[in-house]
Amino acid sequence: MSADLTFARLRSAGAASLRTRTILPPTVALSFLVLLIVVLWSLVPGVFTSFSPVTGETAAKLAAPSAQHWFGTDYLGRDQYARVVHGTASSVTSALVAVIIGLVVGSAIGLASGFRGGWVDTTLGRFVDVLLAIPGFLLAVVIVSSLGFQTINAAIATGVSAVAVFARLMRAEVIRVRRAAFVEASYLQGGNRLQALLGHVLPNAYRPVLVLAVLQFGTSILVIASLAFLGYGDPPPASDWGLLVASGKTYPTAPWLVYAPALVIVATVLAVNRISRWLRSTR
Amino acid sequence: MHATEFKRRAFLAGFSAISATALLTACGGPAATGTPADGGTPVDGGNITFLIQGYDTGWVSSKTSISSYEGNLWGQLTDKLVYVDANGALSPWVAESWEELNGAKDFVIHLKDGVTFSDGTPLDAAAVVANLQAWAKGDPERGISKVGLFPASNYVGAEAADAKTVKVSFSSPALGFIATLAYHGCILLSPETLALPAEAQADLSQEIGSGPFVLKSWKQGDSYVLAKRPDYNWGPAALGHTGPARLDTITYKVIKDTSVRTSTVASGQADVAFNVEPQEIEALKAAGFTVGTPKYLGFVDGFQVNTQAFPTNDVSVRQAIQHGIDREEIRSTVYTPDWDAATTFIQGNVPEAGDYSSSFAFDPDKAGKLLDDAGWKTGSDGYRTKDGKTLEFPLTPNPYVPSTKAEDELIAQQLKRIGIKVTLKVVDVAGYAAIQASRPPLFQTSRSFVDVGTVAGVLTSQNKGEDWFNVGTSDTRLNELSAAVASASDRASREKVTGELQQYVLEQGYFIPLNQLVQRLYLISPKVRDVQYNGLAYANFYTAWIAK
Amino acid sequence: MTNTYGRFALVRTGQAVVVVLLAYILTFLVISVLPGDAITNSLRDPQHGLSEADIQRIVAYYGLDQPVLVQLVLSLGRFLTGQLGFSLQSNLPVAQLVGDALPSTLTLAFTAFVIALVFAVAIAYGAHYAPGRWAGVLRSIPSFFLSVPNFVIGLVLIELFAFRLHSFTTTDPNSAAATLFAAITLAIPVSAPLAEVLLASLDHESRQDYAQVARSRGLTEAALFARHLVKPSALPSVAMIALIVGELLGGSVITETIFGRDGIGTVVQKAVTGEDQPVLQAVVAISAVVFVAVNLAADLLTPLLDPRVKINETVDA
Repeated sequence: MSADLTFARLRSAGAASLRTRTILPPTVALSFLVLLIVVLWSLVPGVFTSFSPVTGETAAKLAAPSAQHWFGTDYLGRDQYARVVHGTASSVTSALVAVIIGLVVGSAIGLASGFRGGWVDTTLGRFVDVLLAIPGFLLAVVIVSSLGFQTINAAIATGVSAVAVFARLMRAEVIRVRRAAFVEASYLQGGNRLQALLGHVLPNAYRPVLVLAVLQFGTSILVIASLAFLGYGDPPPASDWGLLVASGKTYPTAPWLVYAPALVIVATVLAVNRISRWLRSTR
Repeated sequence: MHATEFKRRAFLAGFSAISATALLTACGGPAATGTPADGGTPVDGGNITFLIQGYDTGWVSSKTSISSYEGNLWGQLTDKLVYVDANGALSPWVAESWEELNGAKDFVIHLKDGVTFSDGTPLDAAAVVANLQAWAKGDPERGISKVGLFPASNYVGAEAADAKTVKVSFSSPALGFIATLAYHGCILLSPETLALPAEAQADLSQEIGSGPFVLKSWKQGDSYVLAKRPDYNWGPAALGHTGPARLDTITYKVIKDTSVRTSTVASGQADVAFNVEPQEIEALKAAGFTVGTPKYLGFVDGFQVNTQAFPTNDVSVRQAIQHGIDREEIRSTVYTPDWDAATTFIQGNVPEAGDYSSSFAFDPDKAGKLLDDAGWKTGSDGYRTKDGKTLEFPLTPNPYVPSTKAEDELIAQQLKRIGIKVTLKVVDVAGYAAIQASRPPLFQTSRSFVDVGTVAGVLTSQNKGEDWFNVGTSDTRLNELSAAVASASDRASREKVTGELQQYVLEQGYFIPLNQLVQRLYLISPKVRDVQYNGLAYANFYTAWIAK
Repeated sequence: MTNTYGRFALVRTGQAVVVVLLAYILTFLVISVLPGDAITNSLRDPQHGLSEADIQRIVAYYGLDQPVLVQLVLSLGRFLTGQLGFSLQSNLPVAQLVGDALPSTLTLAFTAFVIALVFAVAIAYGAHYAPGRWAGVLRSIPSFFLSVPNFVIGLVLIELFAFRLHSFTTTDPNSAAATLFAAITLAIPVSAPLAEVLLASLDHESRQDYAQVARSRGLTEAALFARHLVKPSALPSVAMIALIVGELLGGSVITETIFGRDGIGTVVQKAVTGEDQPVLQAVVAISAVVFVAVNLAADLLTPLLDPRVKINETVDA
């Protein structure tokens, strides 16, 4: 899903509430702008830079930022800005993959758990407890070490470690909505469980789940960057943001190699978190 | 005084500023000449901290190859029979003199008087015999291997003629024997240590040597404090110093991260850092630091090629790689002028090294033609294929030489231009051994030796050789040449046949040289003076001192 | 009451044990996805200096020549009797490796926890009471803290405080000063959710009747904060402690790597790169035990801290 689509939907969803009838807070607007740029970087990186992320001009290695090379050049003379832009796809897409895994698997568990109750709930509940019992980052590290050091595996690992939070939230939402009077009513009126589920629970539960998904997207970017930083993602010449920071720090005389990708990570996650906070407040 | 130098690169400010502070506090102005080895009268006393990547493996001294990290520590704790300088010249150490008899089949070694191990027991002929036995044979029963480069296949035995004289005999000429005694694998340990089981030998405190420093305290894998041995008086004459070491202690401290090692020394918080990033050297030198890039005797930086694995089982592919790598671009990008171009697959300071650079000259057209002729067709993605298989292989940078990561990344770019797909696989020291065991198409090597005769021991599987190219004994020409090098009885004929061997190995693409290797790189604070390097590029702190 | 509480405690403890065992099994299955010969390959590495007999002994110990399920039973059986096996890399008992590393990590985690608490209280208190514009700034701090990767914080702190200001030395990562900065690195992301929860419940509680009443009696805000609000607001935070423990353990991998500290995090990193399965298995198991134990303690304490929380609600599975 593209950012503008989300944007439009979120606006129409929030239109009724008092706060968003006024214009978008400037920081939220800025956050959407940052996110838009990041999405475009990952979809059409070639539009944003004419430099190759893989081959460079070796004679121009470790050059400081300039009009030509915004983020300077790296140890092989490659344009660091091009490396960052081209690294966006795997850094951000993998975070999206992670969120989708967490969202789909977690929500399914939470729905089943909250709706069926009984032994299903108990069994799935234990499973979620187990996932929660292993520190998230540690679980991700163990999974990625087992699957192999690749960015896609880092994404899967991050997604699995996010399953528990989605499951917990979805279950709580389902139980909350299920107990609400109108669901009881539709239930009594002869509706079956599935209809009740589709008709009431999902539309009511989606909002907090969406807020969590957005928040989790930011967290996933950080976790995947950390895994890449430790060298558990794709090897060079891939240019995942975390890997760029890790390989850049080898050259203390070229601090831009660390700070440029680091700032991009911070800006992106900050924007995502701001949007998540805004979504929560417009509930 | 350094201000103008700093302006040379705008963003250098980062640690040059720090370095400047360090300089000023450390040496207070004009004393810092930038070349600490000269000037000043040595003074006794003082402590230094030496930062190094890691000590993850145990301390069993006798093994196939000793890691660079261990070698640094062993060099201060132990002595050797013979000293070798950077030009390969041999001189007495614990061995006062030696005789080569009977066409280099028999040797007599005369030991220096009064040498003792740190536990007080004498380093006499019996002790030397025990060491020779361990180097040559190891003890498979106890899981202790022989010393990799020791000429073991024709080793017959050693005996103590008297307390100060050792006789060693070989079944065929062993021209390299005396030189091997200067190799960092051939360190003298007390017979008691050598008799211990492998587990006990892995405990560094049980390793009793006779060196200028003794182990004072340690925390495995973290830090090792060595203290000077006050009664030491048998250092190599070649170092120009007698009596005990000048420094009181050396603390070897593990810091895995290259940039942290560099910046820690640059900011004055430690004195020596091992293996810094070559691309940082220029800036560090400009800031007044000494960077030791000693030449070592051994193989150049390059790849052993597995001739049985896809795709390097095709001689055209090997030759194409040989001509497809632009070594000059590597040298000017990843390294500095302190690095020399390779002329063959052994280092230029090995006397027998010849100039065979035409057999691996950069020539992408030739490389492309070789591949075309062999039927490798370029596909739409720019990579070549043949019989449905893409021309690709993985490359693992050598973790002992951190700069090889950037180097291999550049090689991947270069080979892409001739249609070869190279993927990088980055591992640490522990993972590297597993990579070696899995025999990848190209394995990046950094191996030192003292005598060129040992080269013959690694190329084929003859005489339990290491079989670097996985040819076993199938290449009769290689067998003949290796055997001829190993069994030569005089140096002139050996030099000639070694030349033929180099030519053959390079033409067959068995070994792909890159540049001459600076395997051990030392970043040294301006206040540390008179650090010396032996022919294996190990820093020796026996003569080092701290300027006030 | 005591009877109900006793039953509740018993059930909760039983559930905790089950969760730990399941976590162990799950980890084992995940790790076993690794190709089986990775272990024997690594054992045969000549650097280890292991003899063939040693290797056979280790293979037999782990049942590496047997099906995964048998290995699992063997492994679980040893875990239950407190044996954690041997490292494939160093051949040392895992219990010793972990035992050596644990004090350092606990020191780091505890210091980080205290710092995170201080940060969180400061931010929440400030954001709640500061006037207008400042409150807004303070309220956005947690979000900022959550957006900076751990490794970036660490790198910046080292560059600034070790290399420029010489506040600590990288050669002595266990010194008090170095520990403090490592703990700050670890504490920053942990303090953010803590601050948010504290702030939310401060906002909520101060709107409650009893706060209004107290205010009308003329109590100063600070006194009110201290007297009435700290205890009830602290409740959700207590429930968060368990989550925080997980964050601290997980975050130690990055923090210890960057600061060069020897601890559980570095043990994990070495085990991952060296495919040292027994070590990984043990560390995950121990983390799960710690997590579950802290969680259990929090659960058991909650009804005692706030009588409003009904026990049967917490038992609800």
